[in-house]
Amino acid sequence: MRITALQIAPTEAASELAMEPIILTDSLEKVYRVGKVKVPALRGVTLTIDQGEFVAVVGPSGCGKSTLLHILGGLTRPTAGRVLVDGNDFCCMKDAEMTRFRRDKIGFVFQRYNLLPTLSARQNIALAQEIAGNGFNPHRFERVTKLLGIEGKLNSRPFALSGGEQQRVAIARAVICEPKLLLADEPTGNLDSENSQVVLSMLRQLNEELRQSVVMITHNPEAAAFADRIVRMRDGRIVSN
Amino acid sequence: MILQNIWHRPIRTVVCVLAVGIEVGMVMLVVGLTHGMLHDSATRVEGVGADIMVQPPNSSYFLGLTSAPMPVAIANRLQQLPHVRAVTPVLFQFESAHGLSLIWGIDMKTWNQVTGGFVYREGGPFQGPYDVLVDDWYARAEKIKVGDPVNLLNHVFKVSGIVMHGKGGRLFIPLTTADNLAEQEDRASAFFIKCTDPGYTQAVIQSAETLLPKYTVRSVQEYMSMMTSNDIPAMTDFNAVLIAVAVIIGFLIIFLSMYTTVTERTREVGILKSLGASKGYIMEVVLKEAWLLSALGVVTGYLIAWLGRKVMVTVFPTLTVELTVQWALIAGVLALAGALLGALYPALRAARLDPIEALAYE
Ligand SMILES: Nc1ncnc2c1ncn2[C@@H]1O[C@H](COP(=O)(O)OP(=O)(O)O)[C@@H](O)[C@H]1O
Ligand SMILES: [Mg+2]
Repeated sequence: MRITALQIAPTEAASELAMEPIILTDSLEKVYRVGKVKVPALRGVTLTIDQGEFVAVVGPSGCGKSTLLHILGGLTRPTAGRVLVDGNDFCCMKDAEMTRFRRDKIGFVFQRYNLLPTLSARQNIALAQEIAGNGFNPHRFERVTKLLGIEGKLNSRPFALSGGEQQRVAIARAVICEPKLLLADEPTGNLDSENSQVVLSMLRQLNEELRQSVVMITHNPEAAAFADRIVRMRDGRIVSN
Repeated sequence: MILQNIWHRPIRTVVCVLAVGIEVGMVMLVVGLTHGMLHDSATRVEGVGADIMVQPPNSSYFLGLTSAPMPVAIANRLQQLPHVRAVTPVLFQFESAHGLSLIWGIDMKTWNQVTGGFVYREGGPFQGPYDVLVDDWYARAEKIKVGDPVNLLNHVFKVSGIVMHGKGGRLFIPLTTADNLAEQEDRASAFFIKCTDPGYTQAVIQSAETLLPKYTVRSVQEYMSMMTSNDIPAMTDFNAVLIAVAVIIGFLIIFLSMYTTVTERTREVGILKSLGASKGYIMEVVLKEAWLLSALGVVTGYLIAWLGRKVMVTVFPTLTVELTVQWALIAGVLALAGALLGALYPALRAARLDPIEALAYE
């Protein structure tokens, strides 16, 4: 993998700094291969996001927002360029290490909620704790479910919940294990404006009360207004930051 | 989660469990039946009371399968050997009309000398060439009384007597009649020898072998221990084929079921991966589900075997089905192993899915 010349502090030194950025990317490129056709999704993304920031990423459909989020969450690797998330340099990590990184540091929220349909809300949230392997933490569980206002819905299965409720359960699942970084891909894309407001103010609340770093993709300018900072993308590049 | 997955597709679960159950039940019943029937017939051979059996060269352990019968006249030469009290020839014939039964063609006079004679429950010895003796089990199973006509070997026989079970076969006809029906003269499939004292068995075997080289001469005791052991050569082959077929069917069912399950749940696998589930975790989920399905199947199989045995011995009282703990364990372990093997590829496939493609899967 090609690494550009930009000076990035070594991991050990960086972690000693109090305000080490949660995300550092440098000239990130991603090319998808569809048959013989190459689809460039990212064409050099350089981005820094600090701990505790709430950043919105906006841009037209197909500009590479989801791709960026997937790379930041360790679901796929960049074709070129460098990524450091919480001091972890992806280029040096094996697949198993990426999985462990995802488990310990990242919470995902998707547009389609992505709850397991056969499990109740409570089991969906507990599953994240089971996979993380640090056991059930009732205090954290209570705090998160209360913050998201889903205490009364914990025994329902996803199909019995409204879209807004499902998304709140999905957020609870994403943050239950105290990830360093919450990545949300159009979390309000399937919700009406009322439910969108609820979900967005909850993300804001998580950010303020738990100092949760959040990167949120959105189409909606109103949603983006909830963030501290707005990053605009176009054709695989950042156009304003 | 594994339990929920199992309840999520109840029909698939029931079909899988039943298939594995039938696999296990079939293995246990067929093995139980073959062993039961062999042990039962071996016990009845022992019940003849002879010390030695003589069979033609290369003859099978299965009495009815003996090929070229021997001249009855050999009996006279065996009779001349020292320490021989009595020799009786028997011609075996298969009758397949009512289930499979082995008919013993016997020479009443020498038979009585070797065996000490039948215990008659009803009626008495043969009076004509087309008389048949049946044992009390057969009589009860077929609801036969003395004097009833019985169709055997394309002939109508008359029941002249009902004898106590345990001595040789369940159906006896005169040796000469058996020879006639087999279109041969004075032939026997086996000779049973009674020594003057059981202590002379080995000595008589030696002299019989000298007299009849190439013939199969063995003590009834040896025959018994071969037949009641669980590794009769021909049986092991038969059982191995049967078990292989059953295990392959179980393997395929679990394979197909888990393969479609994994495909159907591609998206859920993607979700697990986004939560940071490792390959090992995902494989474990799939394998545990397969394991649970087949464990339920094994329990169902035990029930099927138990019920099947009940039905079989009720409908065919002359059948003996021996269900043993040993074979229950073998069938169970094989079914579980087959299932895990069948789930292995689907589990690997799930573990290797690309998380992004899995999450995009509809
Ligand atoms: N798995 C994939 N395989 C091939 N091309 C892809 C894949 N995912 C995304 N793309 C392409 O990459 C580009 C960026 O996609 P994406 O990151 O999903 O954009 P956005 O989320 O901003 O709509 C698009 O042209 C899309 O067609
Ligand atoms: Mg997108």
